[in-house]
Amino acid sequence: MRSRFPNAAAATAAFLFAAAAGAADPNLCVACHGDGGNSANPEVPSISQQPAQFLSTALFMYREGYRKEAQMAPMAAKLSNAEMNELAAYFAKQAAAAPRHQTSAANLKDGPAAVQKFNCAQCHGPRLLGLQHIPRLAGQQFQYLRAQLRAFKAGKRGDLDGKMSESAQPLSDRDIEVLADYLAGLVP
Amino acid sequence: MRTALPVSVLAFAASLACSLVAQAQQGPGSAAPAAAPPSWQQGRNPEQDASPLHPFAPHMTGRAAKELPLDKLKVPAGFKVEVWAEGIPEARSLALGDKGTVFVSNRLSKNVYAVVDRNGERQVKTLLKGLDAPNGIAFSKGTLFIAEHHRITRYDNIEANLDNPPQAKVVVDGLDPDKQPGHFWKFLAMGPDGKLYYNVGAPGNIVMPGYFQATVSRVDPKTGVIETVASGVRNSVGMDFHPKTKQLWFTNHARDWLSDDLPNDTLHRVSRKGMHFGYPFCHQGDTLDPEFGKNRSCKEFDPPALKLGAHIAPIGMRFYNGKMFPAEYQNNIFIAMRGSWNRTVKQGYNVMRVVLDEGGKVTKYEPFLTGFLVDERADPPMWGRPNDVLVMRDGSLLVSDDQNGILYRVSYQK
Repeated sequence: MRSRFPNAAAATAAFLFAAAAGAADPNLCVACHGDGGNSANPEVPSISQQPAQFLSTALFMYREGYRKEAQMAPMAAKLSNAEMNELAAYFAKQAAAAPRHQTSAANLKDGPAAVQKFNCAQCHGPRLLGLQHIPRLAGQQFQYLRAQLRAFKAGKRGDLDGKMSESAQPLSDRDIEVLADYLAGLVP
Repeated sequence: MRTALPVSVLAFAASLACSLVAQAQQGPGSAAPAAAPPSWQQGRNPEQDASPLHPFAPHMTGRAAKELPLDKLKVPAGFKVEVWAEGIPEARSLALGDKGTVFVSNRLSKNVYAVVDRNGERQVKTLLKGLDAPNGIAFSKGTLFIAEHHRITRYDNIEANLDNPPQAKVVVDGLDPDKQPGHFWKFLAMGPDGKLYYNVGAPGNIVMPGYFQATVSRVDPKTGVIETVASGVRNSVGMDFHPKTKQLWFTNHARDWLSDDLPNDTLHRVSRKGMHFGYPFCHQGDTLDPEFGKNRSCKEFDPPALKLGAHIAPIGMRFYNGKMFPAEYQNNIFIAMRGSWNRTVKQGYNVMRVVLDEGGKVTKYEPFLTGFLVDERADPPMWGRPNDVLVMRDGSLLVSDDQNGILYRVSYQK
């Protein structure tokens, strides 16, 4: 059985290094988020080719407690606003890798209609590549996407303006499954 | 030199690394039948479903002034604009203390900042943390008042305690019993009557408001008693009192999704008690709402003092009563325009000047500080967003920019 958190050793190393150095070093991020920010772990999001404003906002939310996550909170706690901006600019420039995720045949068929029905492209952009403070969804990790959608629906995901929490309200369990499976397989 | 980290640190790190985040779970079969749109989308017609228009979010970590195209900023001849302070993420409303402290609020964030000059150096202090949408701030007689999502509080003798602010004392609580969506943030102004003026916005783009929603109200800080000052106000996040007449003037945001050019956002004058400015029935004094305006007439409502432009999003406004600017600027109104987003060709993102005659009639409406809007068809179209204005003791004008977390200073020299 696969460990639910195969990057534990890497995360530990990164945390210790961060605790010792306190620097905004992209190497600390890639320990979990993968080379160039392309995650190989379905639970951990890819941060490559994400809009810089989304990344800096995410780090801000972890540091300020709007997003609660045991791995990220201590990583963000030490970062200044300027350091967050630097890391965000760096990973925004890293090219997104083609996804390894294989969308099921059924969800490949149902995905586009669900994306349209729930207005994903309205904020995430016509190709779901993200825009300003809104993240790229195309090629994002499946389990991460699913967990976020569930948390938004439950009102437990940090959300500065409440828009995504509102948008997630009409999603059924099945809708979430379709969207996450479909989006994770899209080539960014 | 230590060669090994303490075991406790290792154990702590390992437990962090190995612990899993509890993901929010939901029970099966909890699917909601109807899709409620986000509040900013509410009121769209079916043809607008695929509209790419969307609100813009500020950079929550701020941006350094040196990374911004400051050379694009323009002011009239004889005026100068410069960066006065930076590193104040999401700088929203401004208030000036008796001893010269500039207080700066947040809306999406939770802080209130104090900017002070100490030993010839300008310092930005995080004064208060963990507040709930503390957009409204007003200073009066040594006290800083703060309007949060749900309450108004006071911090007495604040300027003597900037490094150790006192506990908040509640002026009034329960201002949001329904936890309303949309327009829950408040502006705050101290009136010449010693009462605190604030808005309660409409709980959506175009909806029937509850009885104290879509109003400008006031509360007496001595008694906590509330009164409605004006009704039919969709959302006002800028107010000030005329230096001579002492009448309340305020800016108002009109509804979205009607069209690119309608309705206008508006400037209002409160000349008597019980005025109703039309929302949700009538917009800009002369345009019935297609849904709520059926079987109504705009004659029933009070018109605005000025139409400001569609979707232009007027936020802070102040009368100019400083001594630095030329005489013709006395008792003019400066208004910070934070929009537009809800039109295909963007406009605004500037500070406008409104000139009034002795009777309070608008005689001129013109741009004063421009250059934030660089490409009216781009997404985003601007690099900065004026948010509030503040007349300083020396007569210069501060302008906050929440997009970048910067305060600009506009000064004049003959």
